[in-house]
Amino acid sequence: MTGVPELKISGLRVSIDGKEILKGVDLHVRGGEVHAIMGPNGTGKSTLASALMGHPKYTVTDGSVMLDGQDVLAMHVDERARAGLFLAMQYPSEVTGVSNANFMRMALNARRGEGQEVPVLKFHRDLQNKMKALSMDPEFAQRYLNEGFSGGEKKRNEILQMSVLEPRIAILDEIDSGLDIDALRIVAEGVNAQKRPEFGLLMITHYQRLLQYIQPDYVHVMMQGRIVRSGGRELAEELEAKGYDWLKAELGIADETVSATV
Amino acid sequence: MRGVTQLSGSFETYFTQQGDPDYLIEARRKAMRSYESLDIPRFEKSDLTHRNLAAFKIEAAAAGNTWQAIADPYLAQDGQSSVLVIADGQVVLKRGLEQVEANGAVFTNLRSAAVSHRKLVEKHLGTAVSYDENQLISLQTALWRDGAFIYVPSGVTLTEPLQLICVTTASGHGSFPRNLIIAEASSAVTLYDAYLAAETITDELHVGVTEVVVGPDAHVVVGSVQDFPKAATTILSRRANVGKNGRMDWVFGELSEGFTVADFGSVLQGDGSKSTSHAIAVGIGRAHIDMTARMIHIGRFSESDTMARGVMQGRSNGVYRGFTQIHKGASGSDGQQTEKLLMLSPQSRADAIPMLLIDENDVKCGHAASVGQISEDQLFYLMSRGISERDAKAMIVWGFLQPVLAEISIERMREAVTSMLERKMA
Repeated sequence: MTGVPELKISGLRVSIDGKEILKGVDLHVRGGEVHAIMGPNGTGKSTLASALMGHPKYTVTDGSVMLDGQDVLAMHVDERARAGLFLAMQYPSEVTGVSNANFMRMALNARRGEGQEVPVLKFHRDLQNKMKALSMDPEFAQRYLNEGFSGGEKKRNEILQMSVLEPRIAILDEIDSGLDIDALRIVAEGVNAQKRPEFGLLMITHYQRLLQYIQPDYVHVMMQGRIVRSGGRELAEELEAKGYDWLKAELGIADETVSATV
Repeated sequence: MRGVTQLSGSFETYFTQQGDPDYLIEARRKAMRSYESLDIPRFEKSDLTHRNLAAFKIEAAAAGNTWQAIADPYLAQDGQSSVLVIADGQVVLKRGLEQVEANGAVFTNLRSAAVSHRKLVEKHLGTAVSYDENQLISLQTALWRDGAFIYVPSGVTLTEPLQLICVTTASGHGSFPRNLIIAEASSAVTLYDAYLAAETITDELHVGVTEVVVGPDAHVVVGSVQDFPKAATTILSRRANVGKNGRMDWVFGELSEGFTVADFGSVLQGDGSKSTSHAIAVGIGRAHIDMTARMIHIGRFSESDTMARGVMQGRSNGVYRGFTQIHKGASGSDGQQTEKLLMLSPQSRADAIPMLLIDENDVKCGHAASVGQISEDQLFYLMSRGISERDAKAMIVWGFLQPVLAEISIERMREAVTSMLERKMA
């Protein structure tokens, strides 16, 4: 797939265990754009990320998600990834006995398709260069996938996977949580290095801090399972200065969490 | 008791004709009396009442040449290892055994060692696994046919692993392999043994015994794999007595499709003695696999660490017991165990049973047991990178077994076990 990617989310409603979390989300992300979804805890941000990737715990009850005109909701998780969707997870799983490098090579080859496998030596050379750019110790290539990694190491490893797989649309779910300033700067540099017209980015965070390092073109605020306000970079600055309360007052929202509306 | 009466008279004649020395005939006679007086063993999670425990004969079957194709994938490449192959109870291949003799060590079959190294065999045979441990061990002690005898004198290290392959090709004769390993002070040796049978085997009783004597500061590694078809009933007892500062490492892969009850481990007699075990069980079809890793601490500052991984598929049933016993006086001892079992199908069953019996205050003990299915989050994580569900599951299962597979140091054997696993998990 070449050209400028396009992710179009329309009227998305998502439930978990019969409880509705997302209550109609509309969002349009194109290649070259950086979107940030902000909002306090418990408003549905991470649900949006997991549901887009197709986590089995989440049930989509209504709406549509299209990636480059293809119906994402009709795809299995692995098909979504091969179509160019990527999710950097808030809590990446640990898989014992599977080396980081082998895992990424399998993933990359699955994405490239049969007959297009990357030569092993080239893969390892590229991987080492990418790890270097993220200040990761070369030995992490042979370590078991995320096993015994610190929180910050796991986050770097997510960004490493993103740079190896070169997705068309990436979702970063609270990539900044648990990172100190130095690690955040390195991770942000890794993300910024990906920016190009063939790459669209959707970041989920509840701290403005991240947005100082990765500048968004669009900022969306999520409350009660919906996007309640969208704007440019200046919206993040306004939130930084005034917090969420002014927005809640303006919108007449007393409790911004999803549970409050059930 | 089925078949017992007619055995008593004839079996002494048979083994005398086979050339067994008197002391061995006497030991067999004693064991046979025990077999006749004991009841069928009752194992907590393994009911033997519906197994055909009479699927044996006194006489070994004639060894044909079908063993070759079965043993071949496991055989170390020429020159790499000293190899002993026993088919249907008889030695069919000895290769490179003389290279261990250069150091004064011995690697031969136990039947011939019973004559050529009479003092050693007479002194140690039956010391780690008692003839009356249960009725089937009694039968084994009476009827064992052959196996490996390894003797390593003080201070000698055998750097190349030794290899034993036992193959059963004929049904209904019973498989009774028996091994004795004696490692004197400050010596070291590694044995890799494989117990295999033709797919065509119908009824078979398989009782195996391995005894290891680990001298002071000696180090013995025994890595075993077993693959018997579904009509086999297997009872195993493998045990080491470990002397002061000695070390015993067990690696065990149980891949049989039949009914298996395996008990293995070490008696840590000496102060500062140590033992580890790494076990894999893979159940397919209706396999029943009941394993106990047994560590008995007697010496002070003795240490044990057991790790087991099991993967149950189809309608298989896995029971894994970690048994750590610390006797009074074994102060400063440390016993650790981890059991993890994975169920891959809704009809499979798995139990992990940690058992700690502690009669001493000043000790460290730990256990971790888990039984479960492939984690939804792990699967989601791998699939979210574009890996198919099938490949993702395979990666998780292989990764799960990897810590134990990594313990097998003969490359050819590791490859054989890996390809056997691939076949079983296809």
